[in-house]
Order: sequence, then structure tokens, then C-alpha cells
Amino acid sequence: MIDTVRRLEAVIFISPRPVPTDELIAACDEPAEAVEAGLAALAAEYAGERHGIELAQVAGGYVLRVARDCEAAVERFAGARRPDDLSPALLETLAVVAYLQPTTRAEVAQVRGVSSEWALTSLVERGLAEERGRADTPGAPILYATSARFLQLFGLRALTDLDDLDAFTLSAAETDELRARLLSNAERRRP
Amino acid sequence: MSDMALRAAAPGGPLDGLHVDLDVFDGPFDLLVTLILRDEVDIWEIHVSRIVAEYILRLAESEEFDLEATSHFIVLVAALLELKSRRLLDAGSPFVDELAELDEEAAGEELLETLLRFARFKGAAGRLGVLFAEHAGRLYRTVPVPQRFTRAASAGPALPPVALARALGVLLAEPPAPDVSHITDIAVTLVAELRRLRDLLAADESFTFSAVAPRDRLEKAVTFFALLELHNSGEVSLCQSRPFAEITVTRTGPLGPRDGRSDDALAAVG
Repeated sequence: MIDTVRRLEAVIFISPRPVPTDELIAACDEPAEAVEAGLAALAAEYAGERHGIELAQVAGGYVLRVARDCEAAVERFAGARRPDDLSPALLETLAVVAYLQPTTRAEVAQVRGVSSEWALTSLVERGLAEERGRADTPGAPILYATSARFLQLFGLRALTDLDDLDAFTLSAAETDELRARLLSNAERRRP
Repeated sequence: MSDMALRAAAPGGPLDGLHVDLDVFDGPFDLLVTLILRDEVDIWEIHVSRIVAEYILRLAESEEFDLEATSHFIVLVAALLELKSRRLLDAGSPFVDELAELDEEAAGEELLETLLRFARFKGAAGRLGVLFAEHAGRLYRTVPVPQRFTRAASAGPALPPVALARALGVLLAEPPAPDVSHITDIAVTLVAELRRLRDLLAADESFTFSAVAPRDRLEKAVTFFALLELHNSGEVSLCQSRPFAEITVTRTGPLGPRDGRSDDALAAVG
């Protein structure tokens, strides 16, 4: 058991990207149960405040990352800085891509009601979205999907970690208020 | 969009073959124009400047300057720009027409539906913003795996020779012959048909096409071709009062050989 934990630690330490469980099983040459138990033991070992790093499960695999209270020291040492903040327009576009993926630029624009070309290009440049082939529809438009970096930066293990979209449906009271506002606007504009 | 522009973009037109690769469309230019006109591709999403750039590149690569094709292209691009500007200004837009057809209440409900759908994504965007604020600053190892730990690309698991032989066997096997039972041989040749028609003309100076044509559609075509040959050689005249009406064949000159010797060239066709 201790040997398995040490080998898991070594593989995860050396990897620059999250290592999926099946790759850990293959690397350690151990049955799945033993690897899972080893991962749990490793997580418990790093969960205490004895280490400057911790075991995290993000973007479909396991990875070692700097503990919260040690980030400042690492930033001073390496000059690391957090990614630039995302504007509301970028977050909206990212939400549409994340929930409808793979999706086209036209579909994103349809949901948002405005052209989303700049926003999509910016998300691709930041490595949060990526092209994922072309749609089998007239004109074969480019399909977009979120990337592994998206999962990592948002602390998600997989896309299934995203909240259910229905959870953001407006309540009946909010819907009534919106309807009333629309009617009020229409009344004001009536000649 | 003018008729000229449509003709230019039509298959076989001067712009046929111009391929455009845009974000929302990858394919031939004429298809793009068709899809825009059918409202299947939104012209708002089309960068006309990219199309112009692609065309200029194509012109630069081409050795000759086709004035007609370039003129058509300019007309077409101008039409696209006009269509796009009209839609941007909402004048003459089909969307405006659609809205005008909706009654006020239905339009309001449609707008509400759109806003409610958007609100869900806006809520999700808010949640993503919280997650980003919480997790984006986390520091991960980004150094690549040291060279001495990287393994050479593996060829995968080794397969026994039998597996290779089995896989090749499938490729080397003779494919089954296609079923051609539905294809029948032509019973008559052009030379034989010429001979038959000359025999008929020797006996009777005039007859109708339907009276001498076989029943089979393909054989009928051979008979018709033979009649055209006789007409070309001045042996008969063909008369038809109106399209698709009966054709009357009348002997007008001396008949050619009926043994087929001078029809060697036709024999190759027949």
C-alpha cells in the first residue's frame, strides 16, 4: 500500500497535466481498487497543513497544486500571476459554449442576441474554448467546445460538475416582473 | 440581388469553383450565396472582406486575368454588401417583415421566451464567474516531464503474424462480382438498323417513325440515330409538324449500300 501511494505521488508529481485514473492504474501496474485506495491515502496525507502542496482532482485527472496559504510565496518566487479577469460578455459566451457544446458561433449569437465573434475569438486565444470540427449542417460552420484549461481554471473535475442549467431558470415572480417590464416599455413606446 | 450576380455565382458561371473558408461556412462560393438567399446562413456572420481577400489571392495565383469573371465578382460582392447593410439598418429585412406579421401579444411572448432563455445562461455565467474567482489563481505544476523520463513512441502491442495475415487476407480477397443482371444488351446495332431502314425505304418510299421503331426505348434511340444518319447522307427527309408529334420519313435520294460495308465508321459506334 505504501509503495502504491509513493508511486502515485511520483507520477502525479512529474506530470505537468492532470493524470486520469486509468493512466495511474497503467503506470503503477496495480488494480483499480488499490489505486483508488492509494489516491485516497495520498489526498489525506496532503490535506493536513504539513505540506505546501495538495492533491486536487480537476480536468479529468489528479494533479498536485500549491496550497492556498503558500501561493503568495510562490508568486513572489516565480512571478506567477493569475489569469486576467473575464468580462461579463466573455463569461456569458463561455456559459453558452459550456452548456451547448459543441456549438456554432451563430448559435451563441442567437442565445445572446448579439454577435459573439470577438468574445469567442478571445476565449479561444485565452485557451478556454477550442475548435472542435465542423457541424454537419449547410455551410459546415466551425464547432466550439470548452477546453481542459477551462476545467482547470474553474476548478471542475469534468463538465458534469457544471450546475444544472435549469437551476438558473428565473422564478415565477421574476418572470412576472420581466413580463411587466416588457409591457410597460411597450406601453411607453405606443404612439 | 441582381440576376447578373446570381448568374455569376451559379454552377458553371464565371465564379464557379471559388472556394471560401470562413468561420461559419466552408465551401464553394455559389453555395454560400444560395444559402444566404435561403436564409440558411446569416449574412451578419459573413465577412465580405474575407471573401474579397480570397478572391484577390486567387487572382494573384491565376496566370490570366478574366475580366468578365472579375466584373461578375464585383457585382456579386456589391449585392452582398447591399443586402448586409440593409439588414443592419433593418430596412427591408425579412426579420422586420416577420415581426410585422406577429401580433403585439405574440411578439411580446416571443421576446419574453428569448429573454428567459438568455437569463438561464446569464445565471450560469454568474456562477462561472464565482468559480473563476475562486479557482483561477490556483498554481499548478507546468514544467514538462524531464527528457530522460519520456518514453519513445510505442508501436503498440505486438500482434502475431497470423493476425496480420488475416487482416491482409480480407484486403486481398477478390471482391464479389457486381450484379449486372438488370443491364441488357442492345439487340440492334446502328449498322444493322441502317440496313433495315434502307430495306424498308427500298420497299416503301415513306413511313412514320413509330411504324418502324422497335418497342425498346434504347433500340428506339438507335433507330432515331440511324434516321439522322440517313438524313445527313441525303437519303431521306424527316418531317415533324410540331414537337413530339409523329415523324414522317420520306425517301429523297438514292439509298446507300445495304450490305453495311460503307458504314464501317458507324460500326464502331453501333
